Amino acid sequence: MKPIANNEASKRTLLAVGSFLLPLLVWCLVSYVPFIWHPKVEVTVPGGIDYFQAGMLVDQTQFADETDYAREQGLALPSGVPANPIYLPAPHQVAQAFYTGFAKQPVQKDAPWLHESLWHSIQIIFWGFVLSSIVGVPLGILAGTYASLGRLTEPFVEYFRYLPAPAFGALAVAILGIYDGPKIAIIVIGTLFQQVLIVANTTRKLEATIIEAARTLGTRGFRLLTRVVVPGILPDLYRDQRILLGWAWTYLIVAELIGTSSGITWYITQQARYQHFDNVYAAIMIIGIIGFGTDLILARLGRRLFPWDRSQDRR
Amino acid sequence: MNLKHLGSTMKRLLTRVILPATAAVAFSAHAAQPLKIGYSDWPGWVAWQVAIDKGWFKEAGVPVNFEWFDYTASMDAFSASKIDAVTMTNGDALVTGAAGGKSVMVMLTDYSNGNDMIIGKPGVRSLKALKGKKVAVEMGFVEHLLLLNGLKKAGMKESDVTLVNAKTNEMPQMLASGDVAAVGAWQPIAGQAIKAVPGARPIYTSADEPGLIYDVLAVNPASAKQRKADWVKVVKVWDRVVKYINDPKTQPDAVKIMSARVGVSPETYLPLLKGTKLLSLDEARKIYVKGDGFKTLQGSTKISDQFNVANDVYKAAQDVDSYLDASFTNAK
Repeated sequence: MKPIANNEASKRTLLAVGSFLLPLLVWCLVSYVPFIWHPKVEVTVPGGIDYFQAGMLVDQTQFADETDYAREQGLALPSGVPANPIYLPAPHQVAQAFYTGFAKQPVQKDAPWLHESLWHSIQIIFWGFVLSSIVGVPLGILAGTYASLGRLTEPFVEYFRYLPAPAFGALAVAILGIYDGPKIAIIVIGTLFQQVLIVANTTRKLEATIIEAARTLGTRGFRLLTRVVVPGILPDLYRDQRILLGWAWTYLIVAELIGTSSGITWYITQQARYQHFDNVYAAIMIIGIIGFGTDLILARLGRRLFPWDRSQDRR
Repeated sequence: MNLKHLGSTMKRLLTRVILPATAAVAFSAHAAQPLKIGYSDWPGWVAWQVAIDKGWFKEAGVPVNFEWFDYTASMDAFSASKIDAVTMTNGDALVTGAAGGKSVMVMLTDYSNGNDMIIGKPGVRSLKALKGKKVAVEMGFVEHLLLLNGLKKAGMKESDVTLVNAKTNEMPQMLASGDVAAVGAWQPIAGQAIKAVPGARPIYTSADEPGLIYDVLAVNPASAKQRKADWVKVVKVWDRVVKYINDPKTQPDAVKIMSARVGVSPETYLPLLKGTKLLSLDEARKIYVKGDGFKTLQGSTKISDQFNVANDVYKAAQDVDSYLDASFTNAK
């Protein structure tokens, strides 16, 4: 049995690495192989075309037109190399931006380092998620256990989850100020309503016979929840929370645009405004790495906490 | 606990805890609370960074707290009374005021001097060439006003072109698509549009009509009244900022500070600064007078008001004069 299991594990790791390498390979191909995509021409020598400048990106057809024009007029011919639009930087540019982002001290006095901005964002997510869970998890469990409470709360929650959380930004600022309060509120609004429904659903999946048995044996009220329902759904609840944490991350960018500019979003939007897309992609990837990294750790922890639950094994 | 009991508890909580607390906060605000000012990414406002970094507010003896925002978010925060003042255009001061966030423009920071532009696609060299064509602008915003102003000067009407409504941020892509003959955008987005579509050129800019768009420091009326002396000090600091930026000897240092604030290199930032005419106090005093047309703040703001009403930005005309108070700028 043992060697096969080992074999399985190494195969799985290989596939996991491959799932990252494949998209990277596609990205490299698109970036480095000149005849794949490359709809633009980067001018290297402007020649006789008055508005061309070295480093300018021009459409291929336009470049051809202007070259023909230069030939007809007997002007110096421009030259250039195939290039991608500015919106798609090459992998090595992003890697470099990634490095300098962390290593370089910010030019502005008192400006936060990239890791400080990032830490600020992580705190926003953390508090948003904790606050949402404090309300969402108990409410979800109650709604899942008691049918009448479920019917009272879930239709509204179901309705509310479709409302766009960022649209409450101005209201959140009016109530909670301009700093972290409204940002955390947006994360909560974005996460809470999904959380209630998902947790309630998970609770309902607990086998009815278990609850029946507990009731028959005289368990009622609070004890039914703490001794039967919660222990019964704990592994699934844990997995739900993992998924919901990822959900919270997706609200970060809109949340941080509300109130004063801060965190990683400030970095991303500002760099995008001045078209430094290498920095933008580097920052986006950092978010991915943190999110994915946290989830890996939580998954591993889940296997430790709930060794009897086979579904925790699946990543 | 019955409902009545709950009600009286709430009332007690209100009178014993919350009201005294708010009173205390309001009282201490009188003492030495820093003035909270929201600013955002426009050269005329980033200029404040020079004074912040150099510690000039401390020297002037006025406690301030500058908070960096996205432009729209800064106006939201001002409307919600979370900050005492905000940097915005005179037109947006009216828009914000119509929605309840009334303000007093205590001073002018600058006017756009080329940073706002209508950009024609390759081959389009003048506004006249736009007749019967599509033009993309963000309706109700300054570029829309700029276009109308230009068309009028060229002897044309709004109906001579087909307006396409689009977000200013997306103008580079709009122009690149080739579906429209021209787009309206401000810097740095305008620069991106020109760079993205080689051969595209500005055909009408705010430099052709200086004063179309004034940028101001708009203050919450209550704060303007209660802390007038402090605001006058802030206005004085501005004069020092303008001198520092305009002096060729100190300009490189100023540009370094400003470009660092927005996260670009000084070389990238310099052209944006050139498209903005920063106003010293002396220059501002000549504009902050009564009069019609774009040469005065009053005239420009009135035109802006008419434009806003005509385009349904808000329903009823605003009392423009209630937004104006030149005494801060004129204070000796």
